[in-house]
Amino acid sequence: MIRTIKASLAFAALTGAFLLQAPLHAQDGMKQDAMKKDKMQDDKMTHEGMAKTLLTGKFHGKVHATSGRATVYQEADGKLVLRLTNFKTSNGPDVHVILVATMDAGDDANFLKSNTERLELGKLKGNEGDQNYEIPAGTDLMKFRTVSVYCERFNANFGAAPLEKF
Amino acid sequence: MNENGKAWLSRKKIILSLIGIPVLVVGWWAFRPEKLFINQKVSEAAPVSLSSEPEALYTGKLAGNAHQTSGRATIYKSSDGKKYLRLTDFMTSNGPDVHVLLVRAEDKALEQEIVKGDLDHVELGALKGNQGDQNYDLPATADLNQYQAVVIYCERFHAIFGVARLEKF
Repeated sequence: MIRTIKASLAFAALTGAFLLQAPLHAQDGMKQDAMKKDKMQDDKMTHEGMAKTLLTGKFHGKVHATSGRATVYQEADGKLVLRLTNFKTSNGPDVHVILVATMDAGDDANFLKSNTERLELGKLKGNEGDQNYEIPAGTDLMKFRTVSVYCERFNANFGAAPLEKF
Repeated sequence: MNENGKAWLSRKKIILSLIGIPVLVVGWWAFRPEKLFINQKVSEAAPVSLSSEPEALYTGKLAGNAHQTSGRATIYKSSDGKKYLRLTDFMTSNGPDVHVLLVRAEDKALEQEIVKGDLDHVELGALKGNQGDQNYDLPATADLNQYQAVVIYCERFHAIFGVARLEKF
């Protein structure tokens, strides 16, 4: 009787040990697999805000030295805003901020080609400093990929910033 | 004769000024040359709903060295003053012992796939995932004026998976 109990206890212990090991082996296998498998991470912003940064790009300009950053934000209410920061260009007559339907306006093409589609955002508020411009609702930002500081009178491109996904 | 000459001269003057003054005025209006010397400075605040947001300080795009790597690295300062690195649209290959480091942007080693010797760096932690958005806290002592590049680095093989050079946002 005692022998049967001992034997069954031993059998149970063995089975238990085997069962415990199996997942360990399986885990090892998974670790090796990790080399091939992708590990996806999905951290949120530390303070999940309401406004989103959609696009950003740096200004370049040869003929009229232009520098700074152009960033497109989407506000909580869905409004699109273009914001220029650390911005600097030369002052001039009748200068406007426009979106151009190209990937980038080349420096050498100081003058915009007449057939490129444009979207007016307003008169340049200042040739230096941070400034915001509203982008009309429904603007296709996949198409209008370049911000240009543009002198309407002479069709001159003071500087341009190609926008990239932020 | 003398009288005639004088009259002719003054008529010439009138004609000249009749043509010259409008030309000057139009020229001034068109070119506004005084604007070359006058700056118009503005300083608008960020859109309202942005003011409580973490402020982006630096940003750069990731490019691959030893392994294809893409995405964007941005350093934010949250409202409590803490800085952190955030990777977005991030993708690299998985690997053993991969870390996220801040390094000197001018370090020649960044152009290579395998680093010989030591890389002057600030450790930000083990890579949390080879894909997806992720945040890494920056040590308070990290000097962002000196360390202006982010590197995805395999410590075991000294391999640079990818580099992002940071630019002022």
